[in-house]
Amino acid sequence: MASASASASTRVVPIAPIYDEQEDNDTPLSQLTRHWMNERHAPDILPAQEELLSSLLDHIRRQSEAVQSLRGEPSASEEDHIRIMLVQMEVERVKFIVRSYVRTRLFKVEKFARFIMTDETIQARITMAERAHASRHAHLTDRHFHNVVLQSLPETQSHLDDTPIFMPPMITKPDETRAVFVHALRDCPPLRFHDKTLEMKRGHISLMPFSFIQTLLLRGDVELL
Amino acid sequence: MSLPQSLQTSVTPPELELIASQQLIEIIPLIAMEKTAFISGAFGPLQPPRKAQIPLWMAINLKLKKKCHIVAPEWLSVEFLQSRLDEEVSDLGFSMLPFRYAEISKVLLDVAPDDIQNIDKIRSLLKDLREARQAKSREGLDQLNREELSLSNLCSMEINEIRPFFVHAMGILTHLHRDASTEDQL
Repeated sequence: MASASASASTRVVPIAPIYDEQEDNDTPLSQLTRHWMNERHAPDILPAQEELLSSLLDHIRRQSEAVQSLRGEPSASEEDHIRIMLVQMEVERVKFIVRSYVRTRLFKVEKFARFIMTDETIQARITMAERAHASRHAHLTDRHFHNVVLQSLPETQSHLDDTPIFMPPMITKPDETRAVFVHALRDCPPLRFHDKTLEMKRGHISLMPFSFIQTLLLRGDVELL
Repeated sequence: MSLPQSLQTSVTPPELELIASQQLIEIIPLIAMEKTAFISGAFGPLQPPRKAQIPLWMAINLKLKKKCHIVAPEWLSVEFLQSRLDEEVSDLGFSMLPFRYAEISKVLLDVAPDDIQNIDKIRSLLKDLREARQAKSREGLDQLNREELSLSNLCSMEINEIRPFFVHAMGILTHLHRDASTEDQL
């Protein structure tokens, strides 16, 4: 499919950005946008992108400062005003993405707080701040449940981490079997399924359980849609 | 709540529009602007009437202030859409369209109707395309199994539309399989 799309787009030249348009132009912002979407769609918490995030936050601050200083100039023409407005508007757009990204992670951190406290691999994927938040959140909810209900129950029923048979365990874990839409960013090594193998070429889109593509996602070979 | 309920399972069309608006589009500026550094890169200089490429969101903003004309992308034309529609009807697979065509065409039709030729025809072609493709993706549900479903050439908005149902359906198939295999062991 990828080779077909490549030849098609060279043949029909005027329709150049036919498929994925700005792949070559991989700016920090487009990287964050991709991480944002991955995070939104993945059932598990993905590795934190602290460097990328802090460099973008720096950039936002620099742009805002530039706007502030330009605003003070009385000689600004109408064109300058439009420039200032556009720069400011972009800052707001980027802020929105940053916020939504951070909140998505926060949501998962809270949801899996107890699991995070017990699992080291997931702890390695989140930031210090997120770990601290998970720990506080887990303690607070534990204490709350204990004070409100659990302390008055018999000892055998007063735990929050039971794994009763025929029932889902009490600690919420990421559901890695949940299906996600994947888009191959480059040709991928073959994936083995129960009854077939699939070699995803660049541009291929598939729906499959998250666990199958987890490693490809971490390597940046695919993105979630 | 750190993430509102409505955003927990899927992304919303406005969010997809936000992402699509990062893409570059050609404009004919009506104002001059020096080359300016943005977070997503440097754009400009704008010098009327020389064409320039800027992100869609910027173009929309300038257009709303009547500071530019937008040059409709090549694919937003009657010939192109008609040929894709013919393909859509005759072929089994999805025809190839720009990945974010739905978002971009909606924005352009809303904001810059005067910059697009044959706009009524384009509107109806887009609608026909959408319906033809929707029917196909519903048929795709037939082939759904618990492991993999290939959906090449499906577009961003279409994926978002089928997401809740398809993901849920696949989840149920996985569950059924898991239950069956644990029963085998018992």
